[in-house]
Amino acid sequence: MKKRNSNQLEIKKLCVSLQGNDILSEVNLSLASGDILGLVGPSGCGKSTLLNTIAGFINQSHGELIVGVLGVGEHDDGELLIITPEHNVAPEHRNIGMIFQDYALFPHLTVEQNIIFGINKLSKRVQQSRLKNLMHLLKLTNLEARFPHQLSGGQQQRVAIARALAPQPKLLLLDEPFSNIDARLRNELMLEMRQLLKNLNISAIFVTHNKDEVFTFADKIAVMHQGHILQSGCPAAVCQQPNNWQVADFLQLGSWLPVKQISSTQFQSALGKINISKEGKRDTALQQLLLKPQYIELSQLSGSAQGKVNVRVDNISVTEQGYHYLLSSLVVDELAFDQLSFYSNELFSLGQTLMLVIKEHKFVMFIPTTIQAAG
Amino acid sequence: MIEKQKNRRWRGASYFIALTLMIPVLVMLYAGINASNELFIHLWQTVLPDYIANTLILGVFVVLLSVIFGVISAAVIVHTNVVGKNALRWLLMLPLAMPAYLVAYLYTDMFDYAGPVQRALRAWFSWQSPSDYWFFDIRTLGGASVVIALVLFPYVYMLARTAFEQQDQNLLRASRLLGLSAKQSFYKVALPLARPAIAIAASLVLMETLADFATVQYFAVNTLTTAIYDTWLGYNDLASANALASILMLFILFAVVSEQRARAGQTYQSERPNKNHQLIKLTMIQQLFASGFCWLLVIAGFILPFILLLFMAWQYSNIAQLQALLPTGINSIKIAVWAASLTTFFALLLVLFQRLSHDRWRALPMNISGFGYAIPGTVLAMAMLATFAPIDHAINDVAKYFSLPTPGLVLSGSIFAIIFAYVVRFAAIANGTIDSGIKQIPKSIDYAPASLGVGLFTMLRKIHLPLLKSSIFVAWLLVFVEAMKELPAVLLLRPFNFETLSTQVYQLISDEMLEQGALGAILIVLLGLLPIIWLNRAKTGNGEEEV
Repeated sequence: MKKRNSNQLEIKKLCVSLQGNDILSEVNLSLASGDILGLVGPSGCGKSTLLNTIAGFINQSHGELIVGVLGVGEHDDGELLIITPEHNVAPEHRNIGMIFQDYALFPHLTVEQNIIFGINKLSKRVQQSRLKNLMHLLKLTNLEARFPHQLSGGQQQRVAIARALAPQPKLLLLDEPFSNIDARLRNELMLEMRQLLKNLNISAIFVTHNKDEVFTFADKIAVMHQGHILQSGCPAAVCQQPNNWQVADFLQLGSWLPVKQISSTQFQSALGKINISKEGKRDTALQQLLLKPQYIELSQLSGSAQGKVNVRVDNISVTEQGYHYLLSSLVVDELAFDQLSFYSNELFSLGQTLMLVIKEHKFVMFIPTTIQAAG
Repeated sequence: MIEKQKNRRWRGASYFIALTLMIPVLVMLYAGINASNELFIHLWQTVLPDYIANTLILGVFVVLLSVIFGVISAAVIVHTNVVGKNALRWLLMLPLAMPAYLVAYLYTDMFDYAGPVQRALRAWFSWQSPSDYWFFDIRTLGGASVVIALVLFPYVYMLARTAFEQQDQNLLRASRLLGLSAKQSFYKVALPLARPAIAIAASLVLMETLADFATVQYFAVNTLTTAIYDTWLGYNDLASANALASILMLFILFAVVSEQRARAGQTYQSERPNKNHQLIKLTMIQQLFASGFCWLLVIAGFILPFILLLFMAWQYSNIAQLQALLPTGINSIKIAVWAASLTTFFALLLVLFQRLSHDRWRALPMNISGFGYAIPGTVLAMAMLATFAPIDHAINDVAKYFSLPTPGLVLSGSIFAIIFAYVVRFAAIANGTIDSGIKQIPKSIDYAPASLGVGLFTMLRKIHLPLLKSSIFVAWLLVFVEAMKELPAVLLLRPFNFETLSTQVYQLISDEMLEQGALGAILIVLLGLLPIIWLNRAKTGNGEEEV
């Protein structure tokens, strides 16, 4: 069952149920050759299940997985393996590499034995040349004879990468690969790893619950929630235009401001009236406006006699972008809010009241739990 | 925490207990090493090479068979979807409750020339005499190895099973993605990772095999333990028996060292192991073989001998037998209660010292006192005799000198020596149980009472002892059960006309009259089941997925 296709991985209407519970429902996803996809979502949303299904550790109940089987021999370039519930393929025949959260290095084998574990059927000469290349590439030279427990966390991760790359897979799965790494080292390693995958033209899917990792590491992002993929695309587009309340909420793209439509082009909020450029359908329901900190500013009238204060400072912290304030509204009706994020270089005091205004920008608002954008 | 003066007293008591427990073995070793050269030359020229060879061959065979039985059954239970695994999982531990000498007797009864199996075969094939057919002889070194392995393999099974279950399944998953099939992953990853656990279990099996006395004696296979017994009780030659016991001690030392080395090798453990086992799906034929193999072990190691015992009891038991059981039962219970209570009390003292003292070497007394677990009952008995017989003689000499009535063998010829030997042998069990109990109590609890103005003993009485209650009880129970079952030490040390359940059953076996003691034997087996139930209490619930 092989046919031609340009994608490295294609997932069509994939469903997985375990012990009678639907863990994944109708998941569709495709990954072009050389692309890195970041799979994000809250705990228990099905990210790891999707990864394990692709690897072959969990069987799908419906749907199709089409995996490129490039690699072992150059002659089969462009051939694909189609996996369905009826036609399953064992993990060892999928030619997929995986890097586990705790690296899963074989503790009884040395670094060298770990790396050549997956290629021991190849000739000694090929084994040695790949080993040498990988050791050099991953800066592991002189560590061949060490055992995993004699290595630092960063070195262990490099060995895991080398081991996964040795059989030259075209698709690499990474299960929270950076979660055990010190925060200071993490960024450096992510950039290094991204460069490596790009150089070797390896497609990768990596799972994380840390949104910052996605923005550093991935070409493409897919946000999962309760077994569904809510949105996928390039990270900038998803940030600019989240299609769903949960997507914006999980990625913490801004604070939520309750708003109510008062005319076809105007909304009322606790920070004043908001004008939208396009006329939209009138909806009387309370909506939530996604408000990023950069779109809020101190009113020119703040502190003057004409100025009418609308927020109170509840919390102050110091960040590299200046003082970070959490604000709550002074009104107590249905438009009231708390925990509105606001950055300023000016120092205010706790309990101080201010007057804020919203800058003109492309507004994104949702009626919570439904998908609707207005602009 | 202990203040200085109390610490000094406690330290004194701890070292005193630990060293006192060790002294008899040291005395015996000293006597053994200092035995005359002629004696060794004589032993070497006569029986010693055979005894040593038999002991070694028996050890190697039993270890090999136990590893084969134990590792295969553990792998089947953990890694496959074998039918009936939930029942087999704990049934495979039951043979541990069955004393090997009982199995030896029952199987000899069943498989020898006059037994039902050969009778049936002769009737079936119309054979007339032994020359018409070949049938294996169970009363050989090979037969003894199989019988002993059938009841000792659960050590390997339990430790290997735990090792397989605790392994991080991501390691197996990684090997699958690197091109290995499920079976290859087992051989190249799971099995090598379980090697330290299997080595520990093999050392334990070796210790138990070297300590076995009754089975080899019944099968007339001469090993070092039977030689010690014969030399002392047959020829009354204490020096030679001491020398033989010292040689056996060296073998045991080898087993202990290999166990310690294997433990040191157990360093691999993931912090958050993935326990979702992917089961190997067996084909119909494989199912048949796998479950057949496990059931055969359970049946041969426990169910069949137990049914034979029940059958015997049903056929031959009567009121007189029950009445005869009573005094020996009381004797057994008496020494077991003494041994259990003393051992538990000492263990509590040593464990608390280890926990609460500031000493750098605070764990030392507990570790020294635990050394006895490896020493065979026969050797311990020789150690008691080597130490206490001279003291008894001295006491009697003094009595004679002052023309007082001589008290006899007050130490070496009374239940004192038996209880002393038990405390030495079972200290490790009580230490280990109470120590694992105290490890459950957070360290901060030790500091809290002092911050509330409460003294050391009030703290122990109100905090530690209530929290340790169940561990103390389990420790007591485990030692009690082991003491009820122990045989070789009592055989050598019991006062004249003093019978316990196990010596009575053994005596009846020697006289080929087990029918008369079937009830006692059943009681010994049932007592042996108690620790297994305890071991089984923490049945781990692992996630399993089929692939």
